[in-house]
Amino acid sequence: MKPAAILLAIGMMSSALAAEPGAEKLPFVYTKWKQFTVKDGLPDDHIYAVKSDGHRIWVGTDHGLALIDKRTAKVVRVWTEKDGLPWPSITGIDVDPKTGDVWLALFGGGLARLSGGRFDHWHQLNSGLVNDVVYGVAVENDNVWAATTAGASRYNTVTGEWTIFTEKNAPMEEIWNYGVHYRDGKVHLAVWGSGVLEYDVKTNRWKDYLDPDGEMEIDLYRDDGIVHVITTGANYVDNVLWVSSYFGVCRYDGRNWRGFYNMDSGLPSDFNNNLRARSGREAWFASDKGLGAIMDAETNTWVAYTRDPKSDSGKAVVMRDKTVLETIEMGLNVPHNFIIAIDVDDKDVFVATAKGLAWGIGEGYYSGLRERPRMLAENRRDEK
Amino acid sequence: MKRLLPFLACAVLLASDEAKKPASSEPLVPPGIEVDDHTLEVLRRINSVGPYEVPDIRLRRETSYAKTPVDYEPFGKIKPYKEHFLEQMQYNGPGRAIPEPEDVKTVKIGFIGPIMSTVSIATGGASHEEPLGIKMLQGARLAIEEANAKGGYLRRKVPFELVVTNDNGLWGSTGNEVANFLYRNPVWAILGTIDSANSHIAIRVALKGEIVVMNTGDTDPTYIETNIPWTMRCIGDDRQMGYLMVDYMIRKMDYKRIAIIRASNRYGRFGVREIRDSARRLGRPVVIEMAYKLGQDDYSLQIDRIADVKPDVIVHWGDAREAAIILKQIRERGMKQPFLTSDRAVTKEFLQIAGEHAEGVIAGYPWNPDAPNPRYAEFRERFRKRFNDEPDTYAAHAYDGMNMLIWAIQVAGLNRAKIRDILATRIKPWPGVTGDIPFSAVLDDAGEVYLARFENGRWRYYSREDLQIPRGYVPMRERTARELLTQAETK
Repeated sequence: MKPAAILLAIGMMSSALAAEPGAEKLPFVYTKWKQFTVKDGLPDDHIYAVKSDGHRIWVGTDHGLALIDKRTAKVVRVWTEKDGLPWPSITGIDVDPKTGDVWLALFGGGLARLSGGRFDHWHQLNSGLVNDVVYGVAVENDNVWAATTAGASRYNTVTGEWTIFTEKNAPMEEIWNYGVHYRDGKVHLAVWGSGVLEYDVKTNRWKDYLDPDGEMEIDLYRDDGIVHVITTGANYVDNVLWVSSYFGVCRYDGRNWRGFYNMDSGLPSDFNNNLRARSGREAWFASDKGLGAIMDAETNTWVAYTRDPKSDSGKAVVMRDKTVLETIEMGLNVPHNFIIAIDVDDKDVFVATAKGLAWGIGEGYYSGLRERPRMLAENRRDEK
Repeated sequence: MKRLLPFLACAVLLASDEAKKPASSEPLVPPGIEVDDHTLEVLRRINSVGPYEVPDIRLRRETSYAKTPVDYEPFGKIKPYKEHFLEQMQYNGPGRAIPEPEDVKTVKIGFIGPIMSTVSIATGGASHEEPLGIKMLQGARLAIEEANAKGGYLRRKVPFELVVTNDNGLWGSTGNEVANFLYRNPVWAILGTIDSANSHIAIRVALKGEIVVMNTGDTDPTYIETNIPWTMRCIGDDRQMGYLMVDYMIRKMDYKRIAIIRASNRYGRFGVREIRDSARRLGRPVVIEMAYKLGQDDYSLQIDRIADVKPDVIVHWGDAREAAIILKQIRERGMKQPFLTSDRAVTKEFLQIAGEHAEGVIAGYPWNPDAPNPRYAEFRERFRKRFNDEPDTYAAHAYDGMNMLIWAIQVAGLNRAKIRDILATRIKPWPGVTGDIPFSAVLDDAGEVYLARFENGRWRYYSREDLQIPRGYVPMRERTARELLTQAETK
């Protein structure tokens, strides 16, 4: 047998093996979901923010704050303006791991802290908060960062000192801060019009990540940097920076950038309100057409969760690049396809949508890809 | 073909058998509100969807962004990986299913603009925008008063109410004001603003709060380059005016050395961007660009530097006062170069300060006030009667923008998402007092822009055709889908 023929035979055998059910490496797919809406006790169906904190899930809505107890899966407490909440609409939540204080970004009302059952309130007229439209909040050691529409503010909870970051003292071409995230010694600001700014807590130094082509209307080359200068969220996990935007999403591992669009990945839509990264290989994106999770960055393997608009059912589509590997029909997963925010813990995922909250229960969750039967649900269908 | 597109879109929409008919025999739109079959079909579709569905309302798709000639395209020799802004953004949220409230005493529409004297950081610590904002307010107010004289919001027979707020405070105050429009004094739609920094803040809040912002006075190209389905604009932008000015300077007049002097605020920075880039792409890079701080009286430093490079033409971008002072100081030192400037110079203030030096000045202009448009003549008459003053571009565009909002509210009812849909899917140009206003895929005014030239004591307005200004080749296929063009094809 000629060498070429041997290679062809080996190739055919390999293909046959790869196609065998049970031999394919696939990501974990969430098939168990719970939903929460006004009917379940939430103060509003329009959810802007969600934060998982031990057995608590904090939910920020357009008209009030809610607390869900994971142990009972019930809404156990609601706060509206009548209960002392300083402003109806909550766009960001973070919890101080040292004190348990809950910090709230208020969409037009400044910054609030829920501590010991009492709300404290900071705004432009009583503090160093640079603007009352606060899109995001992050706790960094003793500091609380607020991403506002006119710059970022940092509040030291021990000394009471405020620091304002604008174009005067940070590399902000525009100062419209949209998201803030802290992890592993770095604060990342997603700035509408200024890409992503990185603040190193140890050195007090800034670094900026801008769209290298410098143009609004195109992305010149794939994988050349941030996909667009208008960014909506940035998460730094495992030394990897994940970025969301209204023009696609991207990932930076410190050496290489990788961009992802709807046209070349399983991302449901290029319009992404936010993201939450679980690791350097896995991140979840809040798009206007469903929930997109890249479960293995190396192989560009995604799971997209969407709701059927006409029924109480949903599906998960597993994709590698643009190839559909499997489609799993399931009961209701995300209550609405317009996703606004996400949080994750070790295995579960929490999804804020424009009409309700979803909790994906990660029983049997595993990271990355595993060889597993492609039979997740009885009514699954292949669309390869 | 372009003229046929709206009719084709309408035909396809009407031909679909998925179209749902209203259950009730009541008219979809109150009598007296002009509405075409396409809009009626859109209305049927948006009225029929539940909170989880997104109506099929046929999104616009374009073959080139902003009618950009190939030789003005960024990185024109390279096919980009992804091209944005060609397909219209859809609103995919549940807002269409929110029912109209029963207890409505007035239908509130928000106005946000620079109407008070302040020390805005956004405008460089000083501002000359208040006169523009007040004109904008007058135009908006006249539209509201006229709508109320015709019965107000016809479905409920309640008046429209203008909720007025200032946006020219410290940078960021616009965000607070829009938040108030959402939570404290709720309105159905918003008209504003002029300063581009404030406009950007407004639309970010509007996007998250899901409310239409109709811009009538901010000509910053990046305003609509944000992929926000809630943002629209009814005035030509600096990109279009910049293209026309560069075509005039280089393709027609063959000027070889272009100098720029501009305000050091966002208006100046973004206003000259397309001029600078387009000139460079045509092989005539701007020889010098000087910025100045707002409120200066002495521009000798900037003019010295400009004089050193011996330009053929000088372009200014900034407010009327600065344009006039700079022009005077240029002429007083014997420099005779043609002086081109932005539309903000087309004011009484500019002429008062510039005096005789105004002769021959050319400004980009987003419309033609001298066009034989009876709608404008009648509006002008009513405006004079109401305010005892002449309308300007800000008044006229605000009048058009507010009438577009009022029309959409009359058609859609009191639902913010449906108001958006009705405006976003309009395929016929809006018959405005400023001329016909066609929307592009990004809901920008895609109508013609002009050059205003001060001649014999008055501004005259010229179209591209009037001055026989050549234009570059605008391809009919999007960049990512076409092969790179040969040199001959770009001519």
